[in-house]
Amino acid sequence: MTAIRKKKHSKIGNEPIGYFFIAPFYLFFFFMVLIPIFTGIMQSFTNYDLYQTNDFVGLANYKQLLKDPVFLQAIGNTLFYSLLYIVPTMAIGLLLALLMSKESGGYKIFRTGFYLPYIISMVCASTIWLWIFDPTAGVLNQMLRAVGLPTSDWLKDPNLAMGCVVFVSIWKNLGYCMLIYLSGIKGIPNYLYEAAQIDGASKVKQFWYITVPMLQPTTFFLFITSCISSFNVFEQVNVLTNGGPLNTTTTIVHQIYLRGFTQFKMGYASAMSVVLLIMVCIITLINFKFGNQGTDTDIG
Amino acid sequence: MRSKRKLKNVLVIILLTILCIIFLIPLFLMILTSLKSMPEIMASKFVLFPEKALFSNYIEAMQRGNWLGYFGNSFFVTALTVLISLILNSMAGYGFARIPFRGRNTLFFFALTGMMVPTQVTMIPVFINLKSFPLVGGNDLFGNGGTGMINTYAGLILPYIAGAFGVFLCRQFYMNFPASLDDAAKIDGCSRLTAYFRIYLPLSKPILATLAVLKASQTWNDYMWPLIMINNDEKMTIQVAVISKFVTEVNTQWNLLMAATAMIILPLLILFLFTQKYFVEGIVTTGMKG
Repeated sequence: MTAIRKKKHSKIGNEPIGYFFIAPFYLFFFFMVLIPIFTGIMQSFTNYDLYQTNDFVGLANYKQLLKDPVFLQAIGNTLFYSLLYIVPTMAIGLLLALLMSKESGGYKIFRTGFYLPYIISMVCASTIWLWIFDPTAGVLNQMLRAVGLPTSDWLKDPNLAMGCVVFVSIWKNLGYCMLIYLSGIKGIPNYLYEAAQIDGASKVKQFWYITVPMLQPTTFFLFITSCISSFNVFEQVNVLTNGGPLNTTTTIVHQIYLRGFTQFKMGYASAMSVVLLIMVCIITLINFKFGNQGTDTDIG
Repeated sequence: MRSKRKLKNVLVIILLTILCIIFLIPLFLMILTSLKSMPEIMASKFVLFPEKALFSNYIEAMQRGNWLGYFGNSFFVTALTVLISLILNSMAGYGFARIPFRGRNTLFFFALTGMMVPTQVTMIPVFINLKSFPLVGGNDLFGNGGTGMINTYAGLILPYIAGAFGVFLCRQFYMNFPASLDDAAKIDGCSRLTAYFRIYLPLSKPILATLAVLKASQTWNDYMWPLIMINNDEKMTIQVAVISKFVTEVNTQWNLLMAATAMIILPLLILFLFTQKYFVEGIVTTGMKG
């Protein structure tokens, strides 16, 4: 047994120079990513305030979290945001990609066009829409006034604010979704459609029985990444509404930011981070469990 | 049949053109608004084009605070992040892809798991670590007493270069090289180091270009980390500056805000238009992982 193992080892080889290649990266990765995951969990059991107190308080932070109406609202808002954001972005992204995949020649310019908002920063996207939504100077209300429709105070209305935040996110990230779908569609072999055509399948049937199942891994991937990025939504909230009105747009990360970096309740904010970590872990586990199913699809 | 198909194609192009124009209206409006005067913007009746294009808005906007400094900070942080990331990530990617060593798979698994954890989750512990970094910024050996890396470039750059996705990208790239390449190098008496520098690195241009544009746009566009890490005017980066100089004012000067926004977008837009191929490739390959 040992002989076999030894032989196996010598066959695969062990070249310590490998550590030299990964060490520089791993050093940073270890101290800036891996260790903080664990120290963050430890800090959630303390009342650290960045200056004086740093005592172990057990589950006190978590008990307080369960009674914190704003944080509970933030979890609700984050899930609501995710729901409003993910479905339309993926649906419209798929539709655009389908339109573009049919067109052979100059589709590149459209790809660039739809992709453009994705390369600008979320801050810039938010400042532009901050102006568009402005009740007096904004173009949206000016247009509505011009045609005699009722205007709104978009970002200050508790019923509309979250919708506006979601809208900005969709506008910015649609191009990404479209691009991923586009590459997914390109990966579908053409003979499937040719065979379907010979069998007399209609375009609609081809879409439902070839395109949709073949794109399942792409859809799954987009769903997972969109979930994680939605759980982490912060920048557009901070710029557009700062969590208001009446906390209707505050999100988990926004709460972490406010508690941690404006009130310096590091222990309490760490407990919030752990809640976020658990949410992300659930999504990641779903990814590991179901992630590779689509790739087994038999296309023969 | 053929003409019908052609007609359909034309219809699709028309539809896409209309959609694309609607989609990009906010960006056109940003430019137009940046050239208007405030009375024009506040007027009850909307006018699309400014009566007279006020390019002076751009100069005025850049005089709100030290914008030369903010741009300089962002350029510096972005350039350094890209440079260091390219070195670290391509080396690690090569190590993981081509060199067998004990614990390789476990170490890579950890890197992959770390990649899944969003920076938002670890921002508090990372901030505390950097604040209590020993012997920096007035800290003693145990990290107490000073401000550590708060308000330093290092505090901004360290978390950026620790991201694992570049390693993943490079590993995928190096895995595609034939195994016979390593054998040939070995027979010729080439050490791993020489092989990396003389064979692999010269062939890595496409992947390094992809990584560079992705890293550059990520760093240039980041808002959350500088917001937390930097609280003085001297080290402020553009994304934070545009908010703190224009948005938090009582009466927002929309024309100046739009001018500043356009200035921030411009360098990235130029980068994107010239390196679109790498941008798209990077998005698609990192997107298609798993």
